[in-house]
Amino acid sequence: MKSLTLRNLHKTYFDPAVGTRVTAIQDVSLEIGPGEFVAVVGPAGCGKSTILNMVAGFLPATRGDIIVGDRPVKGPGRDRGVVFQNFALLPWKTVIDNVGFGLKMRGIAKPERDRIAMEFLELAGLSHAAERYPNELSGGMQQRAGVVRALANEPDVLLMDEPFASVDAQTRMTLQEELMRIWGERRHTVLFITHDVGEAVFLADRVVVLSKGHVLREIPITIPRPRG
Amino acid sequence: MNAILEALDRYAHWAARWPVLAALAPFVPVVALWWGVAAAGVFPRAFFPAPPDVLQSFLTLTYKGILPAYLEDSIGRLAAGVSVGILLGIPLGILVGLSGVARKALWPVLLFFQAIGDIAWLPLLLIWFGFGLGTMTFVIVYTVIFPVVINTALGVRSIPPELVRAAQSLGAPRWRILTDVILPGALPNIMTGLRNGLGYGWRALIAAEIIVGTSGIGFLMFDARRAGSAVEIVLGMIVLGLLWYIVDAWILAPIERATGQRWGLVTRA
Ligand SMILES: Nc1ncnc2c1ncn2[C@@H]1O[C@H](COP(=O)(O)OP(=O)(O)O)[C@@H](O)[C@H]1O
Ligand SMILES: [Mg+2]
Repeated sequence: MKSLTLRNLHKTYFDPAVGTRVTAIQDVSLEIGPGEFVAVVGPAGCGKSTILNMVAGFLPATRGDIIVGDRPVKGPGRDRGVVFQNFALLPWKTVIDNVGFGLKMRGIAKPERDRIAMEFLELAGLSHAAERYPNELSGGMQQRAGVVRALANEPDVLLMDEPFASVDAQTRMTLQEELMRIWGERRHTVLFITHDVGEAVFLADRVVVLSKGHVLREIPITIPRPRG
Repeated sequence: MNAILEALDRYAHWAARWPVLAALAPFVPVVALWWGVAAAGVFPRAFFPAPPDVLQSFLTLTYKGILPAYLEDSIGRLAAGVSVGILLGIPLGILVGLSGVARKALWPVLLFFQAIGDIAWLPLLLIWFGFGLGTMTFVIVYTVIFPVVINTALGVRSIPPELVRAAQSLGAPRWRILTDVILPGALPNIMTGLRNGLGYGWRALIAAEIIVGTSGIGFLMFDARRAGSAVEIVLGMIVLGLLWYIVDAWILAPIERATGQRWGLVTRA
């Protein structure tokens, strides 16, 4: 696992249609140690997704540095696995092919990547759904697939943008517990975005409170795991 | 009332078991009506042939080898034109869909040339290519390419950006984004474009054959008019309808069932 460092990060959006600038992120610095689970919490529109999208390499930062291990981020890359709020599974690939997609991109042959993908599907309790298409799965099952798709590619850092916000409350609790079980075994470095303070406190080693684009405060969570 | 419902119910069961017969069944009353009107002798037989006359003409023309040869010519021309139209149209549509610059530059041109219409080109094409395959291919490519380009571009634009981002984060290089995200994502729209393009292309072909043709189904029908043979014209019309049905039921619909519908991107008709 590697550390993730954000240093004096700024982001200004320019809307050419209106001709106005919106400052979404203002001087955010954050140090996430190897294997640490950090949750960023804040109300809608405070800039959470903007931060995650810059770390993922989807958006360029206006100013500041993002460093994974000792390498600065330039664009998207497989060292940072991303879990999306709306799952973003490829609808034309079966569940097992979605989970094996990153391995395929690395040139791993079909039998080997199916074996690895199957291991991860078992980890998520999804082996029975391997040959199904995403649209044949419930939201909770789709997001389980979304999480193990990112994990199967062995990223250094896991980035999650409100991953459980679009499933029902019951499923959300199960998914949170499963995430804790998996993280407990593998200890990924995690940047977890949520608007739900309870979720942040349940999951994270440290909670970063974001407000209007800057860090309001950082709160270490010392409650021993498993938390209930 | 109950008896009608019961009969409909029995028909539904039977139709599910014999899909080919079920596809033909709705034509029974159409043919019966046609036959009835013809038999009543309201119109002279030479102007309004009955089903047996058309069948007779079908058998004669098939036996002489004219119908198979013409059919082969028409289908060959359509296949050539449609293939070129697809090979040019899909890449162009992807370019227009992906690049804002290309879209701004090409969209007005596309709309302009689409508005001219295929048949309007024929006088000029006859000067350029004469009465030959060049003219026909141009007309078909011209008709096919616009719906393919426009629908492919729409399909590309309809792909959620998150799918591209997900693939990038999993380490997909640019060409993999194209083959594994853009193309499958745009496929349902590409199929729509193809369906429209084939329909327009087929009509354009018949029109071109009528005007410039020396063979083909369109030529058969126009030649029959010269000879005053209504029966061959009706035969040509039936062949056109049947061919379209075959293309749709045996080629397009199965592809759509196996892709967009299976993936939950389009709802079943
Ligand atoms: N592409 C964009 N162009 C202009 N403004 C944007 C864009 N994306 C986000 N914003 C603005 O930046 C602010 C932060 O957005 P976002 O990071 O999505 O917030 P959150 O994820 O916390 O809800 C909001 O005010 C939003 O309107
Ligand atoms: Mg957000």
